[in-house]
Amino acid sequence: MARLKSTADLEKTRQKILSKRDPSRPCITVCAGTGCHALGANLVYEAFINEIAKNGLNKKVDIRRTGCHGFCERGPITVIFPDEICYLGIKAEDVPEIISTTLIEKRLVDRLLYEDKDGVKIAHEGDIPFYKHQQRLIFGSNQHIDPESIEDYIALGGYSALAKALSTMKPDDVLDTIKRANLRGRGGGGFPAGVKWETTRNAPGDIKYVIVNADEGDPGAFMDRSLLEGNPHSVIEGLIIGAYAVGSHQGYVYVRQEYPLAVSNLTLALNQARELGILGKNILDSGFDFDVIIHRGAGAFVSGESSALMNAIEGKVGEPRPKYIRTAVSGIWERPSNLNNVETWANVPLIIDKGADWFTSIGTEGSKGTKIFSLVGKVNNTGLVEVPMGISLREIIYDIGGGIPQGKKFKAVQTGGPSGGCLPESYLDIPVDFDELSKAGSMMGSGGMIVMDEDTCMVDVARYFIDFLADESCGKCVPCRAGLEQMLSILDRICNGEGKAEDIEVLEELSDVLQDSALCALGQTAPNPVMSTIQYFRDEYEAHIEQKRCPAGVCKALISYYIDPEKCQACKICLGECPVQAISGDKNIIHIIDQELCTKCNTCFEVCPTRFSAVVKISGEPVPPAPPYGTEVVRKKGKQ
Amino acid sequence: MAGDKGKALSAENSPTKKKRGNNKTATSKTTKGVHYEDERYSEDALNRMSERMGVPASQISHMLETLKQAAQDSDAIAKITDAYNGDKSALIQVLLQIQRENRWLPKSVLISVCEKLGVPISQAYRIATFYKAFSLTPQGRHGISVCMGTACHVRQAPRLLDRVKDTIGIQPGETSADEKFTLETVNCLGCCALGPVMVVDDKYYSNPSVHEIEQIVNACE
Repeated sequence: MARLKSTADLEKTRQKILSKRDPSRPCITVCAGTGCHALGANLVYEAFINEIAKNGLNKKVDIRRTGCHGFCERGPITVIFPDEICYLGIKAEDVPEIISTTLIEKRLVDRLLYEDKDGVKIAHEGDIPFYKHQQRLIFGSNQHIDPESIEDYIALGGYSALAKALSTMKPDDVLDTIKRANLRGRGGGGFPAGVKWETTRNAPGDIKYVIVNADEGDPGAFMDRSLLEGNPHSVIEGLIIGAYAVGSHQGYVYVRQEYPLAVSNLTLALNQARELGILGKNILDSGFDFDVIIHRGAGAFVSGESSALMNAIEGKVGEPRPKYIRTAVSGIWERPSNLNNVETWANVPLIIDKGADWFTSIGTEGSKGTKIFSLVGKVNNTGLVEVPMGISLREIIYDIGGGIPQGKKFKAVQTGGPSGGCLPESYLDIPVDFDELSKAGSMMGSGGMIVMDEDTCMVDVARYFIDFLADESCGKCVPCRAGLEQMLSILDRICNGEGKAEDIEVLEELSDVLQDSALCALGQTAPNPVMSTIQYFRDEYEAHIEQKRCPAGVCKALISYYIDPEKCQACKICLGECPVQAISGDKNIIHIIDQELCTKCNTCFEVCPTRFSAVVKISGEPVPPAPPYGTEVVRKKGKQ
Repeated sequence: MAGDKGKALSAENSPTKKKRGNNKTATSKTTKGVHYEDERYSEDALNRMSERMGVPASQISHMLETLKQAAQDSDAIAKITDAYNGDKSALIQVLLQIQRENRWLPKSVLISVCEKLGVPISQAYRIATFYKAFSLTPQGRHGISVCMGTACHVRQAPRLLDRVKDTIGIQPGETSADEKFTLETVNCLGCCALGPVMVVDDKYYSNPSVHEIEQIVNACE
């Protein structure tokens, strides 16, 4: 495409792209997001290419490899437009049938459709409960866009918000719109973006920077990755608009090198934008110059903190520095630097395009717009969900997420990543927004939402987060470096059955110290997982300490595996699977676990057929004596 | 690059090996049965040097190979630093690229990078030890990652890690003695639906059993 010389040029180009496209022509989209990719989406895509060629459909059918569709649980996903027929969990072998049945004979392949709990098949993606309860303003474009094609983005109206801002708005107007929209930072803090932008704009100095924070380090959160991988132009467009408002001519994207696809799609997108004159000198003839540099992060959780991230961009170790002066005023090379998260930037074009009033019509009093969550853990529909602020946790987990698998009982939901907290069932009906979650002792964070069931030990979860944070602590300030180590050793002790009566109190004291005195947000919020689990699940701590019992049967030192002689049917499965040969038995001979040899690897528990459920975990009480070797199986009548 | 250290080391024994065997082996590049294209490093020349210096020829050949390697490394590093215009702030980016191509950062390489960018070696070591992406020891040919993200954790990832550790006999962060495997834990791979997940050479496996792990590992060359 030729370089766009004006905003009118952009519109002309869009019309040209649209005129070449026939909306009624079938288009097969294959999700190639991380989840689907891991499940073999590439093989499916190749199979489609081959099968289309084989049937001579090259000129009649389009195929597009897109970013994440969100419903990772049921990948690889294919949606066939314009009818929006959604096939789930498809394999390369299914492709010939899809082509012959759906594209040629125009019939549905029933077995690949979504089936609801009443057994009703659902053909359209939007009707599937997982999607029906969402409001996918930002994430919804993913499935219409080939991330490697700027044409796809422009065809959907991409960069028109930029054109609008550059040609009809002054920087102050843009700033005012974002402020009125009350867009709050999606990275975790929830700080109003407009206020931050204004601070940078008003800060002294000619050189200013705008930065995309794509150092998504929260374990269990991957929405920023999916946005950058699936729709990189939306983030770039937001960034350019922000730069215009702030008065910056240089942008950075700090992206984890662990996300190679995001890096390559972003690099490609930046080059395409440069070729079209959307980046560089005199963008769309507005007289505004701006360009972007990618900085790959080398893997450090703490580097996602604003001052640490800026240190890293300078080529130094990504450690936080004291923020007596905000980074918005003194950031990269002590110049005003405005940092926002990927999702925050992706909201900007929508707000400019549709206006602040439209944006504020969605959400709650204090939190506007939508939020993308990664709904993971012990939930039926794992995936990325975008919901309006104010929706309840229950709606997200049950209506969208489909509840807890295997009929287990819900125990807690963890939001906000390692800095967040665990909320029990009694909090399921609170509206999800920045302030409500903080009030409940958790936080919005970047949007990780990990569901836990009755088999999750809350002390172990707290220990897991503190272990993660102690490992990721940069060690610059004493409270974080030494405090987390102490907390970890106490939690380790509790999980090992060596907890002391005063441990809970000491944990609480250490938590207070960290919150008050750590240098950066990592340390200040690190106690949250411990505080919230003590607050809501104190009984579990007490069971570990006083009764040496792990109620969920997770903490290895506190559990033993035992084969119930009355239930064992001597099927020899556990016997064969045990990696340390700790199980003895034979055909018709009840199996016995040698407690000395057992490494508690959980294999026997997992492989024992559910109709027997003979392997049990025992915690807090002695293991019953096993029957003498050679005892024959008691067969239930009629079950021979 | 210096990752081909294995090559340099194997060259150490080659002159003696060739002496014992037939000089006209098909693999040798010159008629004298020496690997080096450069005539100065012919077998005779090496033997003469060895006599004069009183060190075994193999040691000299190893030394020469190391020097040659260092010169090649230096050129390769210059290419990378030049791409960033020798900018000091690109140190992390330069090291990332070397790590990716070479799988680890040898001391000689760090020194060379620091000379070219004009930064103290302490800074390179600080960065190389601070970030997870860097390794100061050689990495195995096959990378095995076990995801320890929160979603995987609640789905029993620690048990999966135990199984993997027991099967290949190394701890996370370690490389097996034959440099075949490096085991590491990662915090979220973004495919939580598959959790707990193990990744071997970019292939994803959902909750593999002990037997499956054995099969996967045995299939690696």
